[in-house]
Amino acid sequence: MAASPDVENLTPDASRTRSREVATQVLLACSALLVLAVPFLGASPFFITLLTEALIFGIWAMSLDLLVGYTGLVSFGHAASFGFATYAAGIFAMNVSADFFLSTAVAIIAAAAVAFLTGLVVTRLSGIAFAILTLCICQVLFQISVVWRSFTGGLDGLIGVPLPTLFGREVEPGEELYLLTAVSLIVCYLLLRRLVESPFGKTLLAIRANEDRAAAIGIDVRRHKLVILIISWMTGGVAGTLFVFLKAGANPMSLYWIESGNILAITILGGIGTLFGPVIGAIGFIFIRDQVTTMYRAWQFSFGLAFVLAVLFMPSGIGGIAERIWRRLWPARSS
Amino acid sequence: MFVNSLNGIIYGSFLALTSLGLSLVFGLGRVVNFAHGVLYALGGYFFIIFLPSLGWSAMVFAPLVVVPLAIAMEWLTIAPIRNRDEIYTLLVTFGLSFMITGAIEYLWGTETTLIKPPVIFQGTVDILGNQFPIYRLFASALSLVVTGLVFVFIQFTPVGLKIRAITDDNEMAEALGINTRWLLTSIFGGAAGFAAFAGALGAPIFSVEPEMGMGIIIDSFLAVILGGLGHLPGTAVGAFIVALAKSIGGGYIAEWAIAVLFLVVAAIMVLRPRGVFGRGRIA
Repeated sequence: MAASPDVENLTPDASRTRSREVATQVLLACSALLVLAVPFLGASPFFITLLTEALIFGIWAMSLDLLVGYTGLVSFGHAASFGFATYAAGIFAMNVSADFFLSTAVAIIAAAAVAFLTGLVVTRLSGIAFAILTLCICQVLFQISVVWRSFTGGLDGLIGVPLPTLFGREVEPGEELYLLTAVSLIVCYLLLRRLVESPFGKTLLAIRANEDRAAAIGIDVRRHKLVILIISWMTGGVAGTLFVFLKAGANPMSLYWIESGNILAITILGGIGTLFGPVIGAIGFIFIRDQVTTMYRAWQFSFGLAFVLAVLFMPSGIGGIAERIWRRLWPARSS
Repeated sequence: MFVNSLNGIIYGSFLALTSLGLSLVFGLGRVVNFAHGVLYALGGYFFIIFLPSLGWSAMVFAPLVVVPLAIAMEWLTIAPIRNRDEIYTLLVTFGLSFMITGAIEYLWGTETTLIKPPVIFQGTVDILGNQFPIYRLFASALSLVVTGLVFVFIQFTPVGLKIRAITDDNEMAEALGINTRWLLTSIFGGAAGFAAFAGALGAPIFSVEPEMGMGIIIDSFLAVILGGLGHLPGTAVGAFIVALAKSIGGGYIAEWAIAVLFLVVAAIMVLRPRGVFGRGRIA
């Protein structure tokens, strides 16, 4: 979608590029440490819970970035990955076992299965058609979650999902659940970082740049789209699992199309094609929404306005701007 | 069952009016207008605001206020990104729909308002042993008439000819000297006017609330895809299919019917991208 940020048209000076890489690693390590240190810095329980939710949305937004930012597929049905996983993990935790690893595995596998079925169809399309088709499929899941009351609890959703257990020990809400979420976010980030920097990730960028040309040089476009869709949904599944444990329940509204639009707006405002940008977008969204809605009634209007302005004037989002500044600080070539 | 399908037909005639605009704007400018639903909502709101002072002529004035708003919207947000990927119009209009829904809640609150139909249309009429409100029949007939007038306009006037030419082949139409830029803006405004009229006309039936636009926009999308993007008669038929699927059986069965409807529409997008009649454009 956006202009490729990865192309450096100047001949890079090897040692300077190296120093920027080191600086980036140091910055990432510091951010990870900061995220993990929050509970030990005397943050209030309310703040911790809010930040947990923000990081969960961060994982979810990152998973959408794989589609929108790295493959150029704008999904308007990404609530499906998250919402479906909340039900899969929630029903499993209520009826079988609340073990965190098992529940996550079940949610991921379930999400992957649905993503595979969805992908067989949606990977034929791109652009607007892809957006609307994913929206339709998400609405099918939404309707089923509302109607199949005996299994999903209908409009009330799932109520009374137990706390997760980790190695046989119950994870306490608050700080422990936060740390679990923070570690999940960091693991997801590192894995996805490796993925997008791998040859597979570069192939996705080729598909984003031009699907027809990518196909012409021998890339199996549909298979690549299918694989990235499955990975994206699996990552969304991790977010959904954490969310169902945080809220101790699941709600059909997580599958509603407006939720898909919300996460899309968060991802784009945060900065597509950067992975870390959507996380910043999610943290900003959750905190501003929670702090502001009580005293400022025009929140929804302002969010819409910010999104419209971002799409019109800074499609690379916060993450894109941050990346540009970072490059300026560590120039690849002495000038 | 009978009353359900009658209600379906009534909803369908409103849906035809809103989907028509969506279909026209897509056909002309390949703009997917998510904000079409909130223009419908704005029509309803301006109507109930003007009603005390203007009486039932508010039904005409409400759309007249929405049209310039829509034109300003198109001019400020959609025109500047005409040269970018089409998907951006979808993103921008989604943001706009969020903005306008937020503005409605901010300005006029979140309550649901149901107003009474005008005195001459109050009361019910007996249809096969069922008492049916007269206003519903009148409003449904009126929106069908307006839909018909739009068809006539597109099919038999010089401007309609230009619109069809652009829908067929944008570049060729431009080469023949048709000002597509200007036409798109005016059609965008016109489509907004019809959506707003539907919102005003439907106020005594479906009531007025901030989320009303978000609900009808999805149904309109379904209707447009079923009928074939940019193909107007197909869109109208699609509107009735959607409305009937949502109402027949009522309640629980209707919820399942909607799930099936979404699946059918998804299948159509892949297998018959030109719509049921094979006459529309491919997204």
